[in-house]
Amino acid sequence: MDKEHKGVDSLLLSDLIEVWETNSLTLRTIEHLTMFGIAIVLASIIGVFLGLFLYSRPKIAHPMLNLLNLVETIPDIPLLVLLLPIFGLGKEPTIVASVLYSLLPITRNTYTGLKEVDLKYVDIARAMGLSEKDILFKVRIPLSLPMIVGGLRIALVFTMGVVTLGGLIAAGGLGAALIAGIQLYKINTILVVGFWTGLLAVIFDGLAGMIEKRLQRRYGIW
Amino acid sequence: MPSKRLFDRIDSIQLRGVTKKYDDRFAINDVSIDIEGGELVIFIGPSGSGKTTTLRMINRLIEPDSGTILINDQNVMELEPVALRRNIGYVIQSIGLFPHMTIAENIGLVAKLEGWNEKKIKDRVKYLLDFVSLPSEMFMDRYPHQLSGGQQQRVGLARALLMDPPLLLMDEPFGALDPILRKQLQEEFYQIREKLGKTIIFVTHDIEEAFKLGDRIAIMDDAKLVQIGTAEELIFHPVNEMVASIVDSGKKFKHLDTLKIKDLISPLECMYVHDGSLDIESAISSMIEKNIEIAVVSNGSGPLGIVKLIDLLRMEDKDSKIADHVVEIPSFSRNELLSSSLKIMQKNGHSMAFVMTDEKLSGFLFPNDAFSQVIG
Ligand SMILES: Nc1ncnc2c1ncn2[C@@H]1O[C@H](COP(=O)(O)OP(=O)(O)O)[C@@H](O)[C@H]1O
Ligand SMILES: [Mg+2]
Repeated sequence: MDKEHKGVDSLLLSDLIEVWETNSLTLRTIEHLTMFGIAIVLASIIGVFLGLFLYSRPKIAHPMLNLLNLVETIPDIPLLVLLLPIFGLGKEPTIVASVLYSLLPITRNTYTGLKEVDLKYVDIARAMGLSEKDILFKVRIPLSLPMIVGGLRIALVFTMGVVTLGGLIAAGGLGAALIAGIQLYKINTILVVGFWTGLLAVIFDGLAGMIEKRLQRRYGIW
Repeated sequence: MPSKRLFDRIDSIQLRGVTKKYDDRFAINDVSIDIEGGELVIFIGPSGSGKTTTLRMINRLIEPDSGTILINDQNVMELEPVALRRNIGYVIQSIGLFPHMTIAENIGLVAKLEGWNEKKIKDRVKYLLDFVSLPSEMFMDRYPHQLSGGQQQRVGLARALLMDPPLLLMDEPFGALDPILRKQLQEEFYQIREKLGKTIIFVTHDIEEAFKLGDRIAIMDDAKLVQIGTAEELIFHPVNEMVASIVDSGKKFKHLDTLKIKDLISPLECMYVHDGSLDIESAISSMIEKNIEIAVVSNGSGPLGIVKLIDLLRMEDKDSKIADHVVEIPSFSRNELLSSSLKIMQKNGHSMAFVMTDEKLSGFLFPNDAFSQVIG
């Protein structure tokens, strides 16, 4: 308790700069956000397309979502380990694991969003003379956007966690700095990197939350 | 991609033995009807009698099990549904404005899909908004949830008119509005109907609305068309008790001489009353929040007149008092004879009047052109 207290107290700006520089945190952050960005973009593209696909094939929707649910129940470290034989060490298995985790929330929310669009809008769209394709692109997808962004938000948090764990399997990023700090028992490093990783997660979640709120408000569905 | 203009005008709409079943129950059973171009035909009847089903077969939202539907002698089942629907306007009770689009986008959507250029769409949208009495510059960029129910229904009508369809299908368009707003929109619709010059098929459950707006009235019951005719024909020659009871409220008009104002009063709810010292800005927000389009302006002791939301929105000086902008309307005591009051109102071109009970405002009177016609 006393020691931790002292640790925080003595964490001055000069210590912070020292920790930042000795751990090359600028580089680590770039690595981290690169993996994070690639994983999120991939998961969004695959997830939205999979959601659209499942929406067009309702028969396989449930088995597929159940499968993704199963993936979701594998704890993160075992999942990373399972991927090692296929992808080796480093960034690839980390990104793949992130995508696997993120697929469920994005796919499920896309599918549910499309399916649960209020039928009165679909009906009036059809009555106005929109084709089925126009109904999908002009009505169903835009009306599901708040829901899809909600799924993306969950995915952001998952991905931030998995990318950090990637430090364990030589993926680099902030996770690597964190693990180095833990192994060498450097309290300052652990605190700075931990706080910084947490802050990034909060910022991204906040941004996604703002988009979600704005969409909901714009659509008048608070 | 532009769709084909299927018909510039309607010469005739014919339903021939049209039947639709859901499981073993008839939604409509062997319905035949002839509608002429330019007519406004009202469908009325108990809930579940098949009115909506009949309407939705005309634009192929529902396809019949047997029978044929002809528009200008073309079988609708042989027309491309998307093109058919772009040639038919459709207005429903729940309106269904898309919440993710602005009012302008809602109205112009199909024009965009038809490949019109931005300028042409914008001009058309502006024209239509002004046509339904919504100042276009004020409403174009708003979202549907920022509009009152009455304003949304006006936008719904503007949207249906976008492609200038020669045929309009309207399914209880005013059904969800409160009685006073409904009467106002009926009144306006009655007036623009002439300008529209369209064939209109209109579903309602309100017999007064039917008398007021319809050229002919079709009475549906239990999936069958029971009788179709003018108001006079239905009133004087009902084919059965059921028709007689539906048009019953029309019957009393045979004895107009004895009718008092209180028989036709639309009761006043206190949310309509606004103090004259209120500024325009606050009056607008209060009216939008209460979803009303007319407010009674009072000075504490009695009503000064009315203000309409549409007019307030157009005012430049939003700080001035609503008392300075009241439109005076006549007021009558509830025990006065209807016929004499109607004459006075007709002569002075008033579309509504106050009804007073013991010197206190108790409701509105909306003279009903169609009603007076029925009485002949
Ligand atoms: N999609 C449907 N599935 C099953 N029954 C339906 C469906 N649509 C309408 N019906 C039935 O058909 C009958 C006529 O309905 P409708 O045309 O909506 O009546 P109305 O508009 O006169 O109230 C009702 O008994 C209704 O329950
Ligand atoms: Mg109906």
